[in-house]
Amino acid sequence: MTTAYTYKPWLVEKWKDDWVPEEVAIDCYATFACRHKFCREVCPVYQETGNESHISYGFHVALLSVSRGYEKLHNLGNTFTYCLQCGACQLRCPNTLFTGDFYRITNEHNVLVTKTRNELLRLGFKFKGSDDMLKAINQIVKDTEEARLSLTEWAKDLDLPRYGETILFTDYFMATQMTNILRLIAKILKVAGIKFGIIENPKPTLPYELDYLGEKGIQYIKENIEALKKAGAKTVIVPDPHVYVSLTKEYPRLTGSEVPFDVVFVTDYIWNLIKEGKLVPKKPVNKKVTYHDPCMLNKVSGIWESPRNILKSIPGIEFIDEDHVTQWYYCCGNGASEARTFKILHEDLSYRIGLKRLNRALDTGAKTLAVACPHCNEQFNEVKLKSKTEIEILDIFEILAESLEIR
Amino acid sequence: MAQLVYGKVDGYIIERLAKIVGDANVLTEPHHRFMRASSAAPFPLHKWHVHAPDVVVLPGSTEEVSEILKLANERKIPVVPRGAGTGLADGAVPLRGGIVVDIKRMNKILEIDEENMCVTVQTGINNNTLDIELKRYGYWWPFDIASYPCSVIGGNLGTNAWQLGAAFGHIRDLVRSMVHVLPTGKVIKVGEGGGRKISKSSVGYQLKYLFIGHQGTLGITTEATLEMFPRPEVEFPAFFGYRSFMDAWRNALKIAKSGLRTLATHIIFDEEKIEALRRDDEAYIPLPDHIKSVIATAFYGTEAEVKGAAEKIFEIAAKDGGIYLGEELSEGDWASRHDRYHITYHGRHLDGQVGTYSWHCEDAAVNYSALPYVVKKWHELAKEWKQKYDIFDDMGGFYYNNNSFKQWGDYLSEIDIFIDEYHLTEELWQKWLELKRRIAEVVLEVGGSISAAHGGTRPGDVELVVTKELDPGVYEIMKMIKRNLDPNNIMNPGKYLLDSAYEEG
Repeated sequence: MTTAYTYKPWLVEKWKDDWVPEEVAIDCYATFACRHKFCREVCPVYQETGNESHISYGFHVALLSVSRGYEKLHNLGNTFTYCLQCGACQLRCPNTLFTGDFYRITNEHNVLVTKTRNELLRLGFKFKGSDDMLKAINQIVKDTEEARLSLTEWAKDLDLPRYGETILFTDYFMATQMTNILRLIAKILKVAGIKFGIIENPKPTLPYELDYLGEKGIQYIKENIEALKKAGAKTVIVPDPHVYVSLTKEYPRLTGSEVPFDVVFVTDYIWNLIKEGKLVPKKPVNKKVTYHDPCMLNKVSGIWESPRNILKSIPGIEFIDEDHVTQWYYCCGNGASEARTFKILHEDLSYRIGLKRLNRALDTGAKTLAVACPHCNEQFNEVKLKSKTEIEILDIFEILAESLEIR
Repeated sequence: MAQLVYGKVDGYIIERLAKIVGDANVLTEPHHRFMRASSAAPFPLHKWHVHAPDVVVLPGSTEEVSEILKLANERKIPVVPRGAGTGLADGAVPLRGGIVVDIKRMNKILEIDEENMCVTVQTGINNNTLDIELKRYGYWWPFDIASYPCSVIGGNLGTNAWQLGAAFGHIRDLVRSMVHVLPTGKVIKVGEGGGRKISKSSVGYQLKYLFIGHQGTLGITTEATLEMFPRPEVEFPAFFGYRSFMDAWRNALKIAKSGLRTLATHIIFDEEKIEALRRDDEAYIPLPDHIKSVIATAFYGTEAEVKGAAEKIFEIAAKDGGIYLGEELSEGDWASRHDRYHITYHGRHLDGQVGTYSWHCEDAAVNYSALPYVVKKWHELAKEWKQKYDIFDDMGGFYYNNNSFKQWGDYLSEIDIFIDEYHLTEELWQKWLELKRRIAEVVLEVGGSISAAHGGTRPGDVELVVTKELDPGVYEIMKMIKRNLDPNNIMNPGKYLLDSAYEEG
């Protein structure tokens, strides 16, 4: 699958405290000129803070004001922490909708945020929480380098080869923190008769955050691609939406070329198996379920049908759908970071955004919120615990596995 | 003239503001201030600093707004209220720095009254967001303004905003009462007589309308009780193509007089608009070459009503050669009506290359009979300016029925002119204002009004508004009101050239 991405000069040029390249200024002007600010109401952060500085329009205009000599880059740090990088704004942007590809002015807000934060750090301008943010990311590097995390332990009794044309690929997060879901996915694939392998030592994929690691980030990309190639991968099944965004968007952005294999998100893959009759959910699961669209899937990758189709294929389920466009407004509160950096930067805000989403789910009359992302899963469970909200959080594959009578 | 001396926004003021709204809601860094300097009309980017406020505050309640205004009034500091900043008459553009009161944090729904069919909101709430919330209960907020996904109720009230579906009324027709903070900080409840939820009363002066459309010169509206509608069963847009603007114009009168109650609006696209769409609109669905002008209609109501009306509109359109343009175009174009109202890289230079263009949207009220003359004159002017300066572009015109609840009378007349704002100089900016004045003069020549929707406060317009459009006696009353309600001229000073209200003698 080919993923469209534009390559903008600001990705390589270095900025100064009082200067950004002219291309960046003109790009920011395209957002300023619009002044629709459709990026505003859709922004989960803005919905809580009511501060327009925290939306895509605000970020772009802030940089435009630097380019015109009215502001210094070092003043922007705190403002640029107020972003989940959920992707709602760049999707809703009229520039993206209408002229984006043609004039190469697609709103790439998520990348702009990373770029700006990275330039601030490079120039030595710390912002509120920046030390802790980097610490969290570097902890992952440290754990990886010291091989502290066993990344195949989860599969030890599943008899999965370390090669194959089809590879189930994830990074440290699911392999260490959501092993139950990962195991269910592997078992479902096996029941369907899919021959697939895993790789021994996947490196962190960290969407929108590899930039902070400099050369190390690029090295991780190369190592993952090499390992997958070496294993013989033609199709890579990805069960974590964040990893999916890295492989399909971030790797091409940072290396300048597409990955040399097909990348398929797990719900797309498994929905196909159900369609082909290779999986037949039979046992009724009597639950009132609504579904949460993970930002990395729905807003950034445009995948929203297959998770719904899987849920609808399970007998017994009363599925109460909230359409995927309405869900552009929602987020679990974790944001794009695998290292939970938004939560580190704005713990309370993250909690409020998550709680709002849980209440929206309850408003539909559902008792269960189905998720398709391990990061949403983790966040919702934390928010549920803290707020004592009475709602069941289940991964789609937990529900499917029950119907397939897989444990 | 008495010299107006304003107080400075210093550390003391910042501290007091922080006590009122909290530290996080007082913004002083330049980027926060500069992003709240412009609205959606063409902006003199080459002198951005002239319009930047000294501080931005984000209040959360009527009480906080009141405290801010009391402080500003005591210290004689200019205050500019700001909704979404999507207005097109510079209402939210500060002329003298001071405090920008950004009301968008006040975005709560306070009450949904299903028995009396009204909803009470804080005025920072957005139109689309309000509708999304009402939809949960089966109700509809029909205020279909072009900036529907972004503008907020407070800005709509402050500018006396206009909507596409005039059949449901404009904002002035959709508000029952308001909580309003006067320039001195005093809070008033103003509506129909004394009833918060009453739709029409003959008690007292009709002051509700005084606090609609004042462009922030008379205070800040913080709460509003609004009409709420049952959701219509069906929406039916139907677009018709004509061989010329004159055919469409002739047909528009027949549509206006049709008596179809479910017809929400009808809009004429002129020949230059069709050309511009053919040239530069990515969402445009190609039309046969002989189609030179279009009328868009849209119906809302029960299925039975709309079905009957649909048959009738096809008959009426055909009388002047109107051809139905099909479901795909009608529904697609209608659905994207809010998304396309401005995109940069649409305007073109004389050599055919696109540029960093921003958008001017004229919104004069012009009587039906005068439309052909105005349309011709306007396009002549726009073309002349394009040829002379090569930073303006004529993107054609739309003409929307303007009258509340009826389809006849006059039209909100919009010529869209693009301006290469990124490359503006003071000289070109002055040329722009000259064009703006010439466009407005055409309107006054035929007995129209310079602005049906946005306000008469734009540079280029405002001088004509106060010297030519408004009756001198009326402008005198405006000045008396301003002076009495705002003794220190702190509320949005300079707008409507009301400084003259404070001249001695």
